[in-house]
Amino acid sequence: MLLTLGRTIKSGWVNFYRNGYLSVAAVSVMLLCLFTVSSLYIIVLTADNILQNMQEKVNISVYFKASVSEEAILNAKKNLDNFSEIKSVEYITKEQALENFKKNSATEPVILQSLEEIGENPLLSYLVIQANNANQYDLVGEYLQNASFKDEISRVNYGKNKEIIDRLNGIVAEVRKIGLGIAGLFSIISLLIISNTVRITIYTHRKEVEVMRLVGASNNYIRLPFIFEGIIYGFVASVISTLLLFIVLKTSQRFTTHLIPSVNLVSLYLSNLLVIFGMQILIGAFLGTLSSWFAIRKYLKI
Amino acid sequence: MIRFDNVSKIYKDDYVALENINLEINPGEFVSIVGTSGAGKSTILKLIYAEEAPTEGQVFFGEKSLDSISRKHISEHRRSIGTVFQDFKLLNKKTAFENVAYALEVCGISKAEILEDVPQILEIVGLGDRQHKFPHELSGGEQQRVAMARALIHKPTVIIADEPTGNLDPTSSLEIMQLLLKINKLGTTVILASHDKEIVNKAAKRVIVLERGRIICDDAKGKYKVC
Repeated sequence: MLLTLGRTIKSGWVNFYRNGYLSVAAVSVMLLCLFTVSSLYIIVLTADNILQNMQEKVNISVYFKASVSEEAILNAKKNLDNFSEIKSVEYITKEQALENFKKNSATEPVILQSLEEIGENPLLSYLVIQANNANQYDLVGEYLQNASFKDEISRVNYGKNKEIIDRLNGIVAEVRKIGLGIAGLFSIISLLIISNTVRITIYTHRKEVEVMRLVGASNNYIRLPFIFEGIIYGFVASVISTLLLFIVLKTSQRFTTHLIPSVNLVSLYLSNLLVIFGMQILIGAFLGTLSSWFAIRKYLKI
Repeated sequence: MIRFDNVSKIYKDDYVALENINLEINPGEFVSIVGTSGAGKSTILKLIYAEEAPTEGQVFFGEKSLDSISRKHISEHRRSIGTVFQDFKLLNKKTAFENVAYALEVCGISKAEILEDVPQILEIVGLGDRQHKFPHELSGGEQQRVAMARALIHKPTVIIADEPTGNLDPTSSLEIMQLLLKINKLGTTVILASHDKEIVNKAAKRVIVLERGRIICDDAKGKYKVC
């Protein structure tokens, strides 16, 4: 068994490098397929990352009327803390709010001046609510409208990012769908081309296959070298594709960090390297095996 | 040991290659099957090594009907039969030694055994000193002897030779024929398909004459003839 495995792997490897141009063609098609699939994967990964970053920035601010006591606000905070949908509630006092405002407006002396003219702090205390998920803000908003402390609320500011997030959510879902479709299409194309390549290989080896059958080689012994040849196509293509993707990301890093400052594509790629490489190896080996299997079937009947 | 029971073989387009063949070949026999091209000689041989299946009837090898052998076990069946062809069917990129060794490799025989058995068998067919030549460096007769060595390496119970002398000059043909007779003397059943009159007559063994897919003569001590 081991001897057969060793001999068939060796013969698959010999087929691979003796076929030269044919092997290059098969690997190229497989490379195209794997590169597309893993690029799409990176795009989805990046979009997910952006989405997560933005989700963290979204929040609801609940401003309380100036007459409401600090104790009442803290009570409301306690109340909100109990919700499983709510990730965090932060209490910002009037004074903090003023400080933040001053900091943000430091470059605009006119505003600071007018603040001084008012003489007192015109800002309200507020709670910053962050939900676990962008979809849950509607629920939180609804609750606030009916809350026991609803009369103490001056106004509620829905985060302006929410709409963008909703749209982004939709886009990511679309990208996933389209990506899956393109990946499927490329898989089928490479399946066809590789099985054609293997078929040509088998055709050039048909005399050998005939002799193998005559001297009593089992079907597996005849089949395995071609299957291994297919697996080698997949393996070589995934190694090249992984390297190529890294090179593309690295050289375009300057451009991409400018475009998407919140995500570092190269480190994102490196932290997912195992998944990306493993996924490619699996897809490559699967496609290679399947296409060789199809190609050899015809020559093994009887 | 080989029995044909009412065997017919009809190829595509209703081409009848064999019609109602009844035939029995005993262990250790030397049988020549003669007839013109297209008479059905090769089809009979193909049915024996299970390259083709009969359209009607059954072919028995030993006690077993070849119908009952699953596709998986056909390779094992073929190892008990040695085959020799007109066009030798050698692998051109392998030396004489490697061609013979190949038949053992595909069956999972260890390297040590291969190194022991292959030179021995090449010695028997008279190629002891030409083991490492490639087919194109050998004469037709020598190439056929490599093919014979390959057919014998599994110590088969039956040797099937389909026009083994078809591409050879008279001297080489005679040598191959003598080799076949020698193998037969050692106990191996030999089935020879040929249209070479001289060769068949020289053997002076059982002759079966085929014409248009039917057996028209079967003589125990036969000569090449048209009945």
